[in-house]
Amino acid sequence: MSSFDIEFAAVTDIGKIREKNEDNVLISSDLGLGVVADGMGGHSAGEIASNIAVSVLAETVRKVNTQKLKIPDNFLPKLSPVDRKLLMAANLANAAIYATAQSSEVYRMMGTTLTGVLFDKDNATAVHVGDSRLYLFRDNKMIQITTDHSLATEHVRRGLLTRAEADRSKIQNVLTRAMGIKKNIEFDLLKFPVKPNDILLLCSDGLYKGLSEAEMAQQLKEGQQMPLVKLCKQLVRISNENDGQDNISAVLIKVLPTKKVTFKQRIKRFFSKA
Amino acid sequence: MTENPASSLVGKEISGCEILNKVAEGGMGAVYKARHKALNRIVCVKILSPALANDKKAVELFLTEARAIAELDHPNIVNVYNVGKEKGYYFIVMSFIEGQTLSVMLKKNKILPIGLVLDLFEGVLLGLQAAHEKGIIHRDIKPSNILINPQGQPKLVDFGIAKKMDKEKGSTKTTELAGTAYFIAPEQALGKDLDTRADLYSLGASLYYVLTGQFPYNGKNTIDIIQKHINDPIPNPANLRPDMPGWLSLAVQKLMSKNPNDRFQTAKETYLYFKKMRAEEQLHLKMGNSGRAIDLGEEGPLRIVKETKTHTPSDADVIKRQRAEEAATRKKTTSSSRLPLMPQLDSSVPDNKEPARPQQSPKESIQMLSAQNVKPVEVFSPMKRPGAARLSQNGKMRAVSLEIRMLIKLVIFVPLFVIFTWAIAYLFHRLGVICSVHIEEHAGLLSNLIMPFFASQYEPNQMLFTGLAIGAIALIFASATLKAFSRSTLLLLIVALVSYMAGLFTPQVPFMQMNTLAQYLFTPEYYLCYFVFALAWAMGLCGTLNRTMPQGVLGAALVTLALVLAYLSSHLTIPPDSHTLLIKIIFYAGLFCGVLSIYYLLSRAEKDTLLPPLIMLLAATAGLWVYSVSGLAHNITSTLNTITANIVVTDSRNAKSSEKMEELVGLDSRRQLFATFDKTNELTDLSDEQAMSVLEGKVDKEFPGLFDENTKPLFMYFLLQYYRGGESKMNFSVWDYTLSFPIKNFNRNAEGNDAYFFLLVLLFVYGTISCAGTVFFSEDL
Repeated sequence: MSSFDIEFAAVTDIGKIREKNEDNVLISSDLGLGVVADGMGGHSAGEIASNIAVSVLAETVRKVNTQKLKIPDNFLPKLSPVDRKLLMAANLANAAIYATAQSSEVYRMMGTTLTGVLFDKDNATAVHVGDSRLYLFRDNKMIQITTDHSLATEHVRRGLLTRAEADRSKIQNVLTRAMGIKKNIEFDLLKFPVKPNDILLLCSDGLYKGLSEAEMAQQLKEGQQMPLVKLCKQLVRISNENDGQDNISAVLIKVLPTKKVTFKQRIKRFFSKA
Repeated sequence: MTENPASSLVGKEISGCEILNKVAEGGMGAVYKARHKALNRIVCVKILSPALANDKKAVELFLTEARAIAELDHPNIVNVYNVGKEKGYYFIVMSFIEGQTLSVMLKKNKILPIGLVLDLFEGVLLGLQAAHEKGIIHRDIKPSNILINPQGQPKLVDFGIAKKMDKEKGSTKTTELAGTAYFIAPEQALGKDLDTRADLYSLGASLYYVLTGQFPYNGKNTIDIIQKHINDPIPNPANLRPDMPGWLSLAVQKLMSKNPNDRFQTAKETYLYFKKMRAEEQLHLKMGNSGRAIDLGEEGPLRIVKETKTHTPSDADVIKRQRAEEAATRKKTTSSSRLPLMPQLDSSVPDNKEPARPQQSPKESIQMLSAQNVKPVEVFSPMKRPGAARLSQNGKMRAVSLEIRMLIKLVIFVPLFVIFTWAIAYLFHRLGVICSVHIEEHAGLLSNLIMPFFASQYEPNQMLFTGLAIGAIALIFASATLKAFSRSTLLLLIVALVSYMAGLFTPQVPFMQMNTLAQYLFTPEYYLCYFVFALAWAMGLCGTLNRTMPQGVLGAALVTLALVLAYLSSHLTIPPDSHTLLIKIIFYAGLFCGVLSIYYLLSRAEKDTLLPPLIMLLAATAGLWVYSVSGLAHNITSTLNTITANIVVTDSRNAKSSEKMEELVGLDSRRQLFATFDKTNELTDLSDEQAMSVLEGKVDKEFPGLFDENTKPLFMYFLLQYYRGGESKMNFSVWDYTLSFPIKNFNRNAEGNDAYFFLLVLLFVYGTISCAGTVFFSEDL
């Protein structure tokens, strides 16, 4: 559990032209978990894939927490318990999607991105695959924590495209890694310490296509006194007005300053399970 | 919509074609062999995957492009007879070509004669030209999309039909790139706008493959290969196949130019060039000249050299700049990631085995290396490396200021805690002294603690001090909001209780007098002090958030110590009652609770458990306490039982209240109930003192000399409880007495040995250490 009080908000929007919302979001303050998944595939396969990703991830974390599920000892034994928990959950989710994809012709091409962040003590641990993003807003600056697993980003890494070109590129939607495509995939695991007043933004590609990093930073800076849910809705609304070609999802996570814990909360915490 | 065409379609009819069997299946759909009923010929039917059939845009493109190809009637392009939708399936009916693909042919024969390859590719170029004239880009030219019929005629198939839709509008996310990685044009791989010249690049790459049997670029994964197409020097096929004429090798390289402007501009131009060069070759051969004498003209080789020259420096610049960005990004991901990311491939360093432009490569690689040393952009510094920044720049200053801040906090909070604790202790001691007047000798501990506040007459200042005490308790709770005091709430409450008891039970000893301390330190009289101390500390550790392992071990040790001391401090000379089943159960339950408490403290669960170990600890100490005093209770009860069996007390049937109630309620069962509560006999009607003297007379008559002066009043008190309230009431008062007996004993001793104040000092020392520790270890100082 995190040593900070953490506030969560999540909004997902179908956008202007899509007929379905293939994004799925999940926030859970008791698990300290926020997740965004952006599904792909025809029929309802995209929705299903992202739904499986999000729910299996959260359910596994919950089960491991309550010790209903034990992580096998030989599963990445060198990592910390939190990392193992998160990776195991992500791997199970991938296996579940892959199994579903193989089960029927209709679901054969389905897959999803997944970006989730789990809080523990002073740290946030992110698991990431695909082109959804995790941003950290700190000291009025927006920092992209995750790296997109898209061909365009790969090109940028190699210097074949500039970032600006990549943002306009047609191959933005070509992912190099996604869940459900293969039986075993590699996840990025990123761990960083959080501080009071940090804001984390998890978003699907729909959001950042309609909202530049600078604009996001501007919104988060101006909206610091605003309720988090309202701020989250506002981000999605603005992105939708600017672009709206895709489903738009955003999860905002705010690390609250510890000093503001009221006496009542302190007593409550003292007498309850931490 | 359709669910599973793969299994259900065979044997069905689509657009007048009877589906015979499945030939192939790909991501976009399945291909079936079918028989056209009207024409009575074998055709090929391609069905769009139902997974994509719902995407309106995709379907639109599928149909548009398929219709465009249907209009083409060229011998080198597979014929499309019909396109449409039937029974919910989108389909294309094409001619069925017996034969094999070029890639299969190559695999079978290992090496193909150059003349044959050129014949085939000339056909392909003609077909491609026809498509390009219609504005159709194939997008996926590769050897496996070139079918060779039994007559040796090449036919282009699979015009990027389904694959096109993935690309358009960047709508649908996908993990596949249109076009096969081994033959993809750089502009296609970069997602730029395509024109017909992209097909020429793929054709060139295919030609390279068919001629040499090797792919132009190879890599560890798709991305690697794709990026080599974009960035790596063009390989020279002649290195792998020396019998290749020079013009062909250069033509292949020209087709594979990175910049579309440097390629042949149309399929027709390529075709004509091939024709011309082959004719010239034939001519030279006829004239007995060797291939070396061929005049290549200016366009071929010069263009290629120029292209590489103009591109490499600018590319290198881009690379240099991007490397810096990349270094920053990579720094971040690798330093924070616990798992390896995608393999970091360095495709940009040229492969020295086949240097196309050897004079260029060293320069290029040097630039790469220097670019890698570019310092990463400090985008991540506010988060990732605060420590490093501090150390390098004003590290010392910061560290010093941190220490100073901590010292200031210690200087402020620790004395404050000391003063606060003393004030509390003194206040409660005074309250105890004032209340000590109300003490009743035989009453239990709890009633003695509480009774002063329910007395009929209050002492002077008692109300004032009670008020102050309540205020102090509120203050103790309020002080928990201060971080330095947050761990000490429980301790302060214990201090308050102990000092109150000190005042209450030893009023004649002045506050904090410790004259006789030294001589009692290691005597059993002080066990109770140690017990309370160990218990307080153990409780503090039970209630600690985020216990570390040493804290858990210490807690477990203290719990064990507290349990042993609980037994010792209350242990009397009379051995415990080990015969009664209930007592045994209580003893084992107490032990079990103790073990459970230790388990909770030591277990490394995700979440710390605070309340369970605390409750278990208290239950365990209570259980052991009960067990250790049970001997005394047993002795008293058995004596009392003997007495009550032998004394005759006459019942008097004039308990008015009960009878009245009986009449009113009219229930027999009620009588039983009231009878147990209100025993009606000769003793109930008398006043306390009269009843006592009557009882005394009776006991003395039956058991002369059984009690001495000290024990007599106590037993008379128990007997009176028996005759007035029944056996249960007597048992209650016996247990009340025995349970608090060790404390009474302690109180009696405390007058002589200052044990209360010793205990207070112990608690006080522990509290101060705990407070200082909290300040010291709190994260944000």
